[in-house]
Amino acid sequence: MATSSETVSETIAIPAKGKARSDEYFTYVEGVGSIPRDIYKHVQSDPLGDLPRYSVHIVIQHLLIFITFMFLVATGLPIYFSDVFWAPAVISFFGGIDTARLIHRIAGFTMMFAAAYHVVTIVGGTLRKIFSHEFDYKRTQIPRLKDLYDLVHDLKYFLGIAPYRPKMEKFMYKQKLHYLAIIWGSLVLIAAGSALLFPDLMARLIPGTLGKLLPQGLIGEESYSAFFQSLARLMHADEAVMALIVVAFWHWSNVHLVPGRFPMQWTFLTGRITREHQIEEHFLEYLNNLREIPEEREYMRNLLTELEIESSPEVPPPDRQASSPQQEEAGPEDKP
Amino acid sequence: MCHKHRLIGRIDENGKRWNYNVDEAIYNHSVHRKIECRDCHTYITKIPHDPVTEVVNCANQCHIKPPFAQEKFSHQKIIDLYNQSAHGIKPTDSEALKQAKPYCKYCHSNPLYFRISEERVAYGETLRRCFNCHPQSGVIQAYIHMTHRLRKKTSRSSKEIVELCAKCHQDTALMKKLKVSATAQDAVETYNQSIHGKLVRLGSQKAANCISCHASSGLHDINKKDDKRATIYKENLMKTCQQCHATPTNWFAGIAVHPKAEHKESRIVFFMSIFLRLSLYGAVLSMVGLMLFETFGRRRDGIKLVLRNGTTWRGQSKPGSKKAK
Repeated sequence: MATSSETVSETIAIPAKGKARSDEYFTYVEGVGSIPRDIYKHVQSDPLGDLPRYSVHIVIQHLLIFITFMFLVATGLPIYFSDVFWAPAVISFFGGIDTARLIHRIAGFTMMFAAAYHVVTIVGGTLRKIFSHEFDYKRTQIPRLKDLYDLVHDLKYFLGIAPYRPKMEKFMYKQKLHYLAIIWGSLVLIAAGSALLFPDLMARLIPGTLGKLLPQGLIGEESYSAFFQSLARLMHADEAVMALIVVAFWHWSNVHLVPGRFPMQWTFLTGRITREHQIEEHFLEYLNNLREIPEEREYMRNLLTELEIESSPEVPPPDRQASSPQQEEAGPEDKP
Repeated sequence: MCHKHRLIGRIDENGKRWNYNVDEAIYNHSVHRKIECRDCHTYITKIPHDPVTEVVNCANQCHIKPPFAQEKFSHQKIIDLYNQSAHGIKPTDSEALKQAKPYCKYCHSNPLYFRISEERVAYGETLRRCFNCHPQSGVIQAYIHMTHRLRKKTSRSSKEIVELCAKCHQDTALMKKLKVSATAQDAVETYNQSIHGKLVRLGSQKAANCISCHASSGLHDINKKDDKRATIYKENLMKTCQQCHATPTNWFAGIAVHPKAEHKESRIVFFMSIFLRLSLYGAVLSMVGLMLFETFGRRRDGIKLVLRNGTTWRGQSKPGSKKAK
């Protein structure tokens, strides 16, 4: 593995030498030049973020959900696991069980507000983009077949089969998966939590509507409201524990702890992503950034020039390289 | 007199030591502080007294006259109520069942009469409880004039009530021997899994404990669910739920208060629980696995979990990389 990384840095010095597919390696961008796929190892990054990723609304929503999630976990978990030794201590920290339940409800409603705020932001932003003809579904969270291919490609890369990581959009397969999981989890938790909070209301609504649609034999002896109530009890707790485990062991590790992101990414506060991360995992979005931000074009052009001059001073005209046969092939390949 | 001495007692035939001390400091703060010893211990006629063979009868009339009442006070009413309940001893009961059934002093142990936890009880509820012992006439006026112990709840907390009932009802072997129904056998266990049980265990005074549902304000009239007088009898169930839940319906009353851990009755819920558990493990394991695999895979990118210049950002951790070669 060390050798392959060696070859990669060699390639910067002498492009297209010993490379499998140059069109995979180089991406030609008008007015910038040919960008090697592993340029992210050589860019300067501000840890606070260089390129825009999230609007201020998304940052606020994330903070709201983050804080309410903490409160929901801290007050909900000791109720679910009420027989463990730390449960009474946590509950008394919140001022008794009745206060803890109140906090749980307030946090739940705040989270629902954040979710509604998010829907309004997303719908509004999408409509605005559609009307100004800027909308591109590839830059959204909508899952595509490409995400599956990207996952396979990435796995190949991790195994050492593929030479580079896939070129991914603003949201990669991991993020789309997590986003879908959040939508599903929120719907389940909101529905089940409401059923637990208003059992009498639920008992009046369910048999009148859903109960008539389903055959009685489906659920055995119980009545429909009892059935849905036990389903709600089950799903609210299970879904919540799952959310906690996924957030604690996957989300946080992924965004803050894995190498290259450690000790912390500032994206959730600044709404900006580092250049290095953008090029590594969201290359196609970086190409969009190059198109939209003149300063970024300027930076990349300078970097390419600098790298080529510094690494191979014996090659006299830098322009010759940009129009070498390999890049001619790469030309039609690049996507905006 | 003699019982004020702290070490008064005896060693019985089996070598067991009995302490007969009555601590005045405790007794004077108990509910029965105004009652003379011999009002309850009526069999004592001379001092020093003969060896005690009888037990206290709570149905005795004592020398206290309740306000606005002609007769002397007695717990007779509540004992009558109790005797009619599921816990009262019936002539048809088996010998083992007669033995197992609790009586006054089983729950109302003397230390309890020392004020444990005080909590304000709602006005209406307090008055309803007065009628358990006092005649209805005049008691309201008396209540308004005097501070009464019932305005402060001096009995067990919800958690203690559940623990008290669980003493016998959690003993599955005993319950099986006494031939109680299958649902009653694991009633404590299922209750503890319900939201009521969890909240009570965490100290809630609002959530329903055993007697909130199984007894009326008489507190002693616990009956089996096929008994028409029972608060959990099908037709009384709505009224029982109504004590806390604002608008119960017939559907609502059907919701399981004692939920079973494994929903054998409802297949969908049962399979759903398995499915959810599997999806939980599946999702977590695959996601964490992917992350670890990714971390492993990205190492060939030359990336390391080493802090340099305060971060592992490649751009900063390898400042010289640009000028490599």
